[in-house]
Amino acid sequence: MPGFADHGRRGWFTTAAAIVLVAAGVLALVLGLRAQRHPPQPPAAAGLPFTATMPSPAAGRSGASSPAKRPAATGLLLARSVPTHLDIPVIGVSSELQQLGLNPDRSVEVPPLDRDSHAGWYKYSPTPGQLGPSVILGHVDSARYGPGIFFRLGALRPGNTLTVTRADHTVAVFRVDRVVSYSKDQFPTLAVYGNTDRAALRLITCGGKFDLTSHNYESNIVAYATLIASHPA
Amino acid sequence: MKKSLLLLAPAAALGAAVLAMPGAASAAGSTSYQAQLNALNHSSASGTVMISLNGSQATITENVTGLAAKFGANAYPHVQHIHIGAKGNCPTTAADANKDGVISTTEGGANYGGIGTTLSTSGDTSPAAGTTLTVAPSGASFTYSRTITLDSKTMASLTAGTAVVVVHGLDPATLSKTAQGEKSDLVPSLPLAATSPALCGTLVASQMSSMPGGAADTGGGSTSGVQDQALLGAGGALVLAGLGAGALAMRRRTAADS
Repeated sequence: MPGFADHGRRGWFTTAAAIVLVAAGVLALVLGLRAQRHPPQPPAAAGLPFTATMPSPAAGRSGASSPAKRPAATGLLLARSVPTHLDIPVIGVSSELQQLGLNPDRSVEVPPLDRDSHAGWYKYSPTPGQLGPSVILGHVDSARYGPGIFFRLGALRPGNTLTVTRADHTVAVFRVDRVVSYSKDQFPTLAVYGNTDRAALRLITCGGKFDLTSHNYESNIVAYATLIASHPA
Repeated sequence: MKKSLLLLAPAAALGAAVLAMPGAASAAGSTSYQAQLNALNHSSASGTVMISLNGSQATITENVTGLAAKFGANAYPHVQHIHIGAKGNCPTTAADANKDGVISTTEGGANYGGIGTTLSTSGDTSPAAGTTLTVAPSGASFTYSRTITLDSKTMASLTAGTAVVVVHGLDPATLSKTAQGEKSDLVPSLPLAATSPALCGTLVASQMSSMPGGAADTGGGSTSGVQDQALLGAGGALVLAGLGAGALAMRRRTAADS
């Protein structure tokens, strides 16, 4: 059998090549998959039924209470002052705050999808520290520049603290009460934007699945926080 | 929609001007109102109402769920209004004067007052359209969105905190036998269930000068889906090539052995 040796050598060579190719391929796949970055999502437990801080349910049922009284405020309150900077050390956020208004369709404006996109304060909401729901929004990511300023917002947990520096050189310290993911078509507008009986903060970004046809995320992640202290900047 | 953008600036300016006034409560500058709608008469419904004001022009957004779904074979029409000029709150069972188990619209009147504005789907929004079923939103759940002009009486009541949103129309099956046989206190040709209140909530000034409509678009999507396509593609190709080479080697050896 003159061809046997040839066959054997070529066979071993092919086998060795096969092993090298598969090994290299698996390595590339592992590296590629490990490099995939996904924003953290709040656990299901953080999405327990919301207890509204609205005054009207009780007032409505009692029948005896006087009409449309504002809720009695509890806890620390600060005077109005526009926020300038947000720090959330636990998720690595340090951002200048721009001011955001409303879109023509009455949805809230979001910061531009730029490199180094900042978070923004919704300027028709109370300033952080005032009575009511102060609203700060940031992007989870951008198609062009990758993870956004609020990429890790879903990793916030109750008890985490964050600070907002204001134009009057006071620093408002907030504590996270809960972090909830809401489907956008079931966004609880009043729970998020409705009246509160304390100086409250709502940090909002996108979450859930990304709809490739509409180029939108299906959900919003909302972190609810309450003012617990303040000090000079 | 373009109109609302143009109108937003003066509304915001008004809000800011009042907010800037020393000693003025932030509520005084509010150009938004909100109401949490709670069930009346054992209905299992709930809802929210937001009103954004620009002068007397009101953009109303309402979401309700859990109302009676069908009226005979058709979607149940739920007439709804801003009631004004009374205590500005919602009645309790104590308001059920005739003890039939249902607080009728009239019985609740001492709490929430008479109709100031009809929240109709089109056309007339005056009290005259109050029981026009054809312009009432319908079904178990609905989203109502309309920009209308409020009359001076409704505006005064809203400012005074005595404006109350009431949504009417109960499922007759949830009523007592007595009540099921009764006629409407408002429209005698209709059963009592059709016009009795199912949801009620007082409109209170929002702590926001202008409340956003809903969800926010805070993502561009780069971190969803497959990110490192080149690396993953190359890896896949290499694995396939390797498997191919392996198969070839196996076949050769099998052929050689035989």
